Amino acid sequence: MNLMTNILINVIIAFFIGSLLFGLQRKIMARIQGRPGPPIIQHILHTFKFFIKESAFPYTAAMPFYIAITAMLSMIWVAAVIVGPVTGGSLLLIFGIYAVHKIVEHNAGSSSGSPYGKLSCVRAVYSAAAEIPLFAVLVIIYFKTGTMNITGLINYQTVHGPLLYAIPLAALMFFVLIMSKAPYSPFAITKGKDIVSGYETEHFGLLRGYLMMSESIAWYMLLWVFLTVFLGPISIPVYLIGMIVMSSIIAFINATTPLLNPNHSIMMQVTFAFIGIVGSFALLMI
Amino acid sequence: MNNISYLIYILSFVIGSVMGLVLSYKKYTAPFVTKNIDLVALILAIVGWILAINSQLISAFVSPVITITVGIFLIAMVLGMRPGYGRYETVIGFAISALIWVGTVLI
Repeated sequence: MNLMTNILINVIIAFFIGSLLFGLQRKIMARIQGRPGPPIIQHILHTFKFFIKESAFPYTAAMPFYIAITAMLSMIWVAAVIVGPVTGGSLLLIFGIYAVHKIVEHNAGSSSGSPYGKLSCVRAVYSAAAEIPLFAVLVIIYFKTGTMNITGLINYQTVHGPLLYAIPLAALMFFVLIMSKAPYSPFAITKGKDIVSGYETEHFGLLRGYLMMSESIAWYMLLWVFLTVFLGPISIPVYLIGMIVMSSIIAFINATTPLLNPNHSIMMQVTFAFIGIVGSFALLMI
Repeated sequence: MNNISYLIYILSFVIGSVMGLVLSYKKYTAPFVTKNIDLVALILAIVGWILAINSQLISAFVSPVITITVGIFLIAMVLGMRPGYGRYETVIGFAISALIWVGTVLI
C-alpha cells in the first residue's frame, strides 16, 4: 500500500477509535455513578461540533503561538502514528513525542493568557516531573530485550512470550502513565475540573476541535504502544478488545476515585515510578 | 486491505450510531421509563448481530466485508439509540447470534 494512504488510514482509525474509547469511558463512568450518561459517539460529535463553531481569539492570547500550539499537538500525534502502527519505528521517538506533548500542554496553557490555562501550564511542568520518570519503562525494556525498536520488540515477544509476564512492574508504570492522560483520572491535574478545562479552556472553535482530535489520537497511541510493547504480536481484533478492556478499567478507576490535588498526584506517580524502577531492576537481576 | 476494512467497519459504526440517535429522538419523546421492547429495533439488532458474527454463513454469496459492514451499521443503530432504549434489543440480538455461531462453528 502507498505510504501516504497507509498513514492517512491509520490516522483516521486512530482518531475514530480514540474518540469512541473516550465516549465509552464516559458511558461506563456514568453507569457506575448511576447516571444514564452520554452516547458512546458523544466525543466524536463534540469534536466535529467545534469544527463548525465560530473561532474566537482572546485579547490576551500570545499570537501566533496560541494558534501554532494546536497545530503542533496535531503534528506530534500524527507523527506518533507514523512511528508506531505505520513504520514500527523506535520507542525513543514515542518518548520524544510524549515529552513534546507535555511542552504543548504547558505552552497551550500559557499562550491563552487565561488564569485557568496558566494554572494548567504550571501543573503540566509539575506533572512532567512525575510522568517522564514513568517512561523509565523504556530503559527496563531495553535491558530486557536489547532493542528499542517496535518491530524488534514484536519479534522478541514472538520468540520469548509477552513482556507483560517478564517485566510486570514496567507494565504497571506504563499503565499509570496512560491513566494520567485519561480525562477525569485522579492524575489528570492539567485538565482537572477545578481549573475548568485546563490548558484548553480558552481555545475555541476550530482550535479546540484540533486539540480534541489530537487527544483522541494520543489516547489510541498510548494504548497501542502498551499493547504492542507488552503483549507483542496481536491481531487487530485483539488490539480492539485490549483497548476496550483497558479503557473500561481506567473508566472504573476514574469513576470511583476523586481527582487528587497536584501534590498528592505527583507523589503517588513518583512512588509508582520508584517501585517500578527499583522492582524491575531487582527482577532483572534475579 | 485489512486496515481499510477496519476503517470501513468503524465508519459504519459511527454513521449507524448517529442515525440511531437521531431517529430514536424523533421516535421517542420521553426518557426510557416504560422499558418496553421495540419490535423494529429488535429485528434490526437480530439481523445486525447475525450478519456481523455469522458472516461465514453467506460468504459464498456476499463478501464478508459487506455483510459485516451492514451488520455493524444495524448493531450501531440499535446500540446508539437515546439512553436506555435499545439495551434489551442488543442483548437479545447478541444472544441469538451467539447461539447460531456456537451451533454452526463450534458444534
